[in-house]
Amino acid sequence: MRMDRIGILALYLITWALLIVVAAPLLVVLAGAFLDPSLLGVSSERWAADTSAFVPGWFGYVFALYGRSMQFSLLLALLSVAVCIVVSVPAAYAIVRTDSRAGRALEEITLLPLSIPGIAMSIGLIQAYTIVRGQWWLILCGHVLYTIPLMMRVVTNALRSFDLEKLEGVAQSLGANRWQRSLFVILPNLRHSIIVGSLLVFAISWGEFNVSFLLNTPLHQTYPAALYATYTANSFAVSSAATTIFLAVIIPVLLALQWIGGREFNRLEQAA
Amino acid sequence: MNAARKLALSFPLILLLALLLLYPLALLLGRSLQNANGLGLSNYLLLFTEAPYRRALFHSVILSALVAALSSLICLAPAWLFANENFPGKNLVRAIFTLPMSFSGIIVGFLAVIMLGRIGAVPQFLQRITGHNYLAGSAYQLGGLVIAYLYFEIPRATLTLESALRKFDPQLSVAARSLGAGTWQRLRLLILPLIWRPLVSTFAVTFTVSLGSFGVALILSKRFSVLPLEIFQQITGYGNQGLMAAMSIALVLLACVINYSVRATSGLGAGQLQDAEGRGGAGPPSGRRIDAGEGTPA
Repeated sequence: MRMDRIGILALYLITWALLIVVAAPLLVVLAGAFLDPSLLGVSSERWAADTSAFVPGWFGYVFALYGRSMQFSLLLALLSVAVCIVVSVPAAYAIVRTDSRAGRALEEITLLPLSIPGIAMSIGLIQAYTIVRGQWWLILCGHVLYTIPLMMRVVTNALRSFDLEKLEGVAQSLGANRWQRSLFVILPNLRHSIIVGSLLVFAISWGEFNVSFLLNTPLHQTYPAALYATYTANSFAVSSAATTIFLAVIIPVLLALQWIGGREFNRLEQAA
Repeated sequence: MNAARKLALSFPLILLLALLLLYPLALLLGRSLQNANGLGLSNYLLLFTEAPYRRALFHSVILSALVAALSSLICLAPAWLFANENFPGKNLVRAIFTLPMSFSGIIVGFLAVIMLGRIGAVPQFLQRITGHNYLAGSAYQLGGLVIAYLYFEIPRATLTLESALRKFDPQLSVAARSLGAGTWQRLRLLILPLIWRPLVSTFAVTFTVSLGSFGVALILSKRFSVLPLEIFQQITGYGNQGLMAAMSIALVLLACVINYSVRATSGLGAGQLQDAEGRGGAGPPSGRRIDAGEGTPA
C-alpha cells in the first residue's frame, strides 16, 4: 500500500514538472508581448511614444506587417476544413459501409501522410507541379493532404461506432430514400464527429509549417512562415507579440476540442 | 446500391490522393534513381559516402530514437493519471498538455530560445538566485535540441498512451494485489506486459514526428544537422536534384519502416489500434485522441 502511494506521488510529481515545462515558455511569451522589454533588461528596439510598462503597440505593428499572412492562413484553414468535409465524409461512408478490401486499402493510403515527413512531401509536390509553384492553392493542397487523414479517422471511427447497416435498413423500411437517409439519418449522427474533426483540421492547418514552408511565396505566405521571418528578423518583443497572436487563435480551438471531445467521452461512458 | 456504386462516393478522395500523394511520391522516387549515367542507386550511396550527409542521417535517427524513447517513458506518468485517477483541475491540466500539439517546429524553437537561449528566462532566473547564468545558450546544444523535441512530443506521447491505458482495467491491479502480488510483481507480471505494446506504438508515433520535424532544427541547430535540414539546404542552395529526392525518399522510407514494422510486430500499431477501438463500438472513440497525438506535423 505504501509503495503504491509513493508510486502515485511520483506520477503526480512528473506530471506537474511536465506541466511547468509546457506552460512556462508560453507565460514568458505572454509577458514578453505585453511588458516593456526594458523591464526585462533586454531592450534593443526603441519604441517611440510608448513609455508605459504595458505596451499594446507591437500588436499593431505585427498586424500591419503580417496581417496578410494571418488572413491567408485563416483562409487556408477554413478551406482545408471545407475540402476535408466534402471529400472525406462520403468516402468514409463508402469505406465503412462496403467494408471491402479496396476500401480498407484506400483508408490505409489516406493515413499514409501521417508517416511521411512534411518536407519530403513538399519536395515531391514542388517537383510534380513546378509549373504552378507559387499558386496559393498548391499550399492548400499540402494542407489538405496532411489534414484529411485526421478527418477520415474521426469520421470512420464514428461510423463504426453504430450499426450503420441496421440504421439504414430501418430508415429504408420506413420509406426514406437515399437522400433522406443520408441527410436525416446518417449526417445527424456524424454531426459531432465532423465538428471535432473540423476543429482538429483547423488547428493543424493554422500551425502547419513543414509542408507549406517551401511552397510559400512572398505573395502568399502562411502565418507560421511569417513567424519564422519574425524570429529571424525582429526583436524578442515583436516575436512574442506575433507568437501571442498565433496562440490567441489556436488555444481557443484546442480548448474547444478538449471540451467537446471530453463531453462526448463522458456521454459515451455513461451510455456504456 | 451495390458495393461498386458506394465506393464511387470515394472517387474525389481517390483522385486527391493520386494527384497529391502518389504521383509526387512516384516522381520523387524516379528522380532519386536518376543520375548522370542513367538509373542507379548512386544518389543513395552519396548519403552514406559523403560525411555531412551521413552525419545528418545518423543524427536524425539517433535524435528521433532518443526523443521517442524518452517521451514514451516520461509521458507514462501523465497518461496514467489522466486515464485512471481523478484530481481537481484534471481537464485543465489535460488541456494544457495538449497545447504544444499544433505548434509548428519553429514556434517550439523560438520557445526554446527564449527559455534556454543566451539570455533566456531560465539562465536569467538562475543568475538572480545563484549569481551564475547556468544553462545560458543550452538551447543551441544537443541537450536543448532534445528538450525542444520533447516539448512537442509530450502531448503526442501522452494522448497516445492515455487512450491505450484507458482500456486497462485498474481492477486487475487490485485483483492481483488481493492475490498476494507485491508491487514489483504486479509491475513486472501485469502492468509491464500490458503497457508494452502501447509503449512501442507510442515510440513509433513520436519517432516519425521527430524524424520529419525541421522547424526546431532550423531555429536551434548550429552545427548539429539533421536530414530535413540538409534537404532544406539543398533546395535553397539549388543543389543536386537527385540527391534531394534521395534524401526525401530516405526520410519517407525510414518513417514508414518504423511505423509498419511496429505494427507488424505488435499488432497494435497506430491504424489497428484505431480499428480495434472503432469497431468495438462499446469503447469510447478515443481514436480521436490518438489522431490528435499522431497526425500532427511538428
